[in-house]
Amino acid sequence: MTAWSALMPAALVGIDRHAGAWPPRGPWPEDVVALATQAAGPTPHATGLLRAAAVLAVVQQAAAFGRPFVATLPPHAGDETLPAAAPEPLQAWLLREGPVRTQQELLAVVARNGQRLPAAWLPAALELGRRHAALRAPVAAVLGARGAWLAAQRDDWRWAVGTDAPDLEQRWPDGTLEQRADALRRLRELAPAAARERLAAALPELPANERADLLAALAVGLSGDDEALLEQALADRSRDVRQAAAALLLHLPASAFVGRAIARLQPLLSQERALLSRPWVIEPPADVGPLDPPRPKHEPLGDRAWWLYQAARQVPLAWWARHTALQPAELLAWAAAGDWAEALHRAWRDVLFMAPEPAWCSAFVRHWPAGAGRDDSARVLALLPLAEREAHWQHAVASEGLSDALLAQLDAGCPPPQHLSLSLSQALHAALLQRLAARPLSQDWLLRDALLPLAGLLHPAVLPALHALPRGDDHSPSAGELLHSVQRIAAARATLYPRTPS
Amino acid sequence: MLTNEAVLALAPDAASAKAARGLLAPAQWPLRGADDRAVWGECQGSGSKPYQTQVDLAGPAFRCTCPSRKFPCKHGLALLLMRAQDGTAFAAGPPPAWVTEWLSSRAERAQKQEARAAAGPQAPADPDAAAQREAQRWQRIEAAGEDLSRWLADLLSQGLGALNPAAVATWQTMAARLVDAQAPGLAQRLREAAACVGEAHERTLARLAMLQLACDGLARRHALPAAEQADLRTLLGWPYERADVLARGTPVSDHWCVLAVAQDEREPRLTERRVWLHGQRSGQRALLLDHAFAGKGFEQSWVPGITLDAALVFYPSAAPLRAVCDSATVRDIASLPDGCDEWQRVAERVAANPFVPLHPVIWRDAVLVHDDGWQAVAGGRALDLAIDPADAWALQARGGGRPLHLAGEWDGQRFTPLTAWAASAQPPLWQRGAS
Repeated sequence: MTAWSALMPAALVGIDRHAGAWPPRGPWPEDVVALATQAAGPTPHATGLLRAAAVLAVVQQAAAFGRPFVATLPPHAGDETLPAAAPEPLQAWLLREGPVRTQQELLAVVARNGQRLPAAWLPAALELGRRHAALRAPVAAVLGARGAWLAAQRDDWRWAVGTDAPDLEQRWPDGTLEQRADALRRLRELAPAAARERLAAALPELPANERADLLAALAVGLSGDDEALLEQALADRSRDVRQAAAALLLHLPASAFVGRAIARLQPLLSQERALLSRPWVIEPPADVGPLDPPRPKHEPLGDRAWWLYQAARQVPLAWWARHTALQPAELLAWAAAGDWAEALHRAWRDVLFMAPEPAWCSAFVRHWPAGAGRDDSARVLALLPLAEREAHWQHAVASEGLSDALLAQLDAGCPPPQHLSLSLSQALHAALLQRLAARPLSQDWLLRDALLPLAGLLHPAVLPALHALPRGDDHSPSAGELLHSVQRIAAARATLYPRTPS
Repeated sequence: MLTNEAVLALAPDAASAKAARGLLAPAQWPLRGADDRAVWGECQGSGSKPYQTQVDLAGPAFRCTCPSRKFPCKHGLALLLMRAQDGTAFAAGPPPAWVTEWLSSRAERAQKQEARAAAGPQAPADPDAAAQREAQRWQRIEAAGEDLSRWLADLLSQGLGALNPAAVATWQTMAARLVDAQAPGLAQRLREAAACVGEAHERTLARLAMLQLACDGLARRHALPAAEQADLRTLLGWPYERADVLARGTPVSDHWCVLAVAQDEREPRLTERRVWLHGQRSGQRALLLDHAFAGKGFEQSWVPGITLDAALVFYPSAAPLRAVCDSATVRDIASLPDGCDEWQRVAERVAANPFVPLHPVIWRDAVLVHDDGWQAVAGGRALDLAIDPADAWALQARGGGRPLHLAGEWDGQRFTPLTAWAASAQPPLWQRGAS
């Protein structure tokens, strides 16, 4: 029953068929009734109906002031504990449209300063985290009370909620996978055994991908006490879980797993008798039996090589050097000269990623083996401590200048939010100027693609120098556009380091 | 001095605001200068010659040598953004020639305009012929009103329940007849009624009833007071000339506070701008309605939260709201006017002229609530909001769930928030489209 109910029957079926009571009269105040009666006239007719409706429409418009709201109002955001970062407009641009690396740098700087994002940026920051899972933790760290309150209101922002909750007990049962893994890692730091027991209790009920991800969290505070659980996981239904367990066991040289692997391999490695030297030889068994895991269909390795690859990727790298008394670089050269080069190189590369050894990383970077996948060199570099990585690049830029290979390595080899050291940045800038002088930007396609990422990598003190990159005779709009973008990134990054001497 | 939000609110669209944010690197601006009257700068574009960008702060009015059709362009916006950020980065010396020339040409133009206004409107070439043309137009419109009234009666005789999309399509024919009779305002209302068929019969009936009311008004036009005749003419879509309004009306001088600015794309290449003002002394509300074609800008920019000294001349109406402003000078940052008679104002305006399409409303101490849609709740009453989700989330982020003062437009069904204040004495903390 609304104010209109008295008019609707006649309006819907037509006044000729249904006039109803005339003049129409609804549950209206007396003076409205009087006006409507006067407007409708004494006899039923269509225009009279419209006139009565007009009275009602105007009265309703004049009387409107919203509907009653009886529900409880939602709570407002809590008080902030951190100061807000200054809303620098270039940073606002960065947060919305900048490259992901520099966005990560921005978030890290805000967190390092003990600040939170200004309220106006919160929707953009939450959208950023929605699109890039890698940015979620850094975004969540600088949301402040307002941001957490805001994120809780939207399903697609809810990932950001609860990461600030200090209580592991709360997040372990209710958190997302990321949050649970994070909670488990934190508990490992405090009480490794308790964390292991909690994981062991939860494992049987989890789906395979969660089993694998949570098991990997044992890497924090790994010790021989974890061996039993990891041995058990080696028999898991899921290949990912078995893989995660094996990767962790590689870090435990005294484990039965490593012992078995060495026992399998050691008899196959022998020294030949020769005139002057006693070179090492490796020979997989002639009959390898049924393969586990089975050899994939398009696998270039043969059955025996596959067997060797699988056996070798369960042995820690340190064993090879100890057993043969050869340096990693010598071992790489030895394998390359032998019959089983690809199997060994691939196995070593896999082990390197599972259980990195700095000496092997350096050896791999300097003497990259042919069959081990070229694209991984930057990832291997990333395993080195930043100082050693930079030493390698410093060496490269001194000998070859700003080469294409170096450009390709820098971006992946310097994981955000880190940036390069001042001395390397200065060397790179000098080499960049040389390369620009040798070849105009319009012809140097590789540099054009690499210039913007480079602007995101250099040390903040070198950024002002990027404003004066020579353009030479190149007046093409695309070159101008690129230099603009470089300047913009440089200017935006410079605002992150206001006290850096230039 | 304008805040970031205020500058971004001047942007003709979101893309321009975005582009302006990307132009803030000082290195892109080899020259930047400012004095009390203007801000200027040279921006290194992708070509070899830099663009010369300048802003007359009295407007603010913009000018730039870039080829952009947007107005103001990203360079002008970026210049003001940088100034809002750090005024010290601008050289204080005397402006270069290209700035002084433009400023003096603007001043000259303003003077000429004043002189023209003082001289009064030019008499039409042939007053008799003009009067005859006008009488003919009224005749046509009155005939169309009778036609519309008969058409409405037929419709109600058959009943709205039988309406289907095919039947509603024939309404377009009636609307076209109204356009032919030079009553585009009525045609517009008929199309709006057609658009809500099927949503709710009650609303359709209400819209058709308002058309009947217009027909009745037209039939007894001569018996109406002059102000109501003027409202009728506006309703028909037969607006008064700006020069006529200026010549006939009495200017109302006041400190006008800019409550809100709404800019909407009406048709492709046609932008409508509505500036809502509140007279600090008179308590009067005013609407400045302008249109810009093909991305050309508006002569003057209006910034919510700022008070201007201006004389407005209102269009004739029984509920004066629309006005023209000849010139205005910035006074200060306003405090939001107080008072809580918002709905009384709406009621009185509706009583005087039920055809006012949009009412300026300040909805105080409102908390944003969203479930199916967005609502603003204050004093135990909720208004349904017409708001873009991105704007709503930006507003929610700024407000933090605490009560805000919202200024916006009320269309009788929904409220469109345009400006938000956290407290009346502060500059606005949010504007539609500036997120």
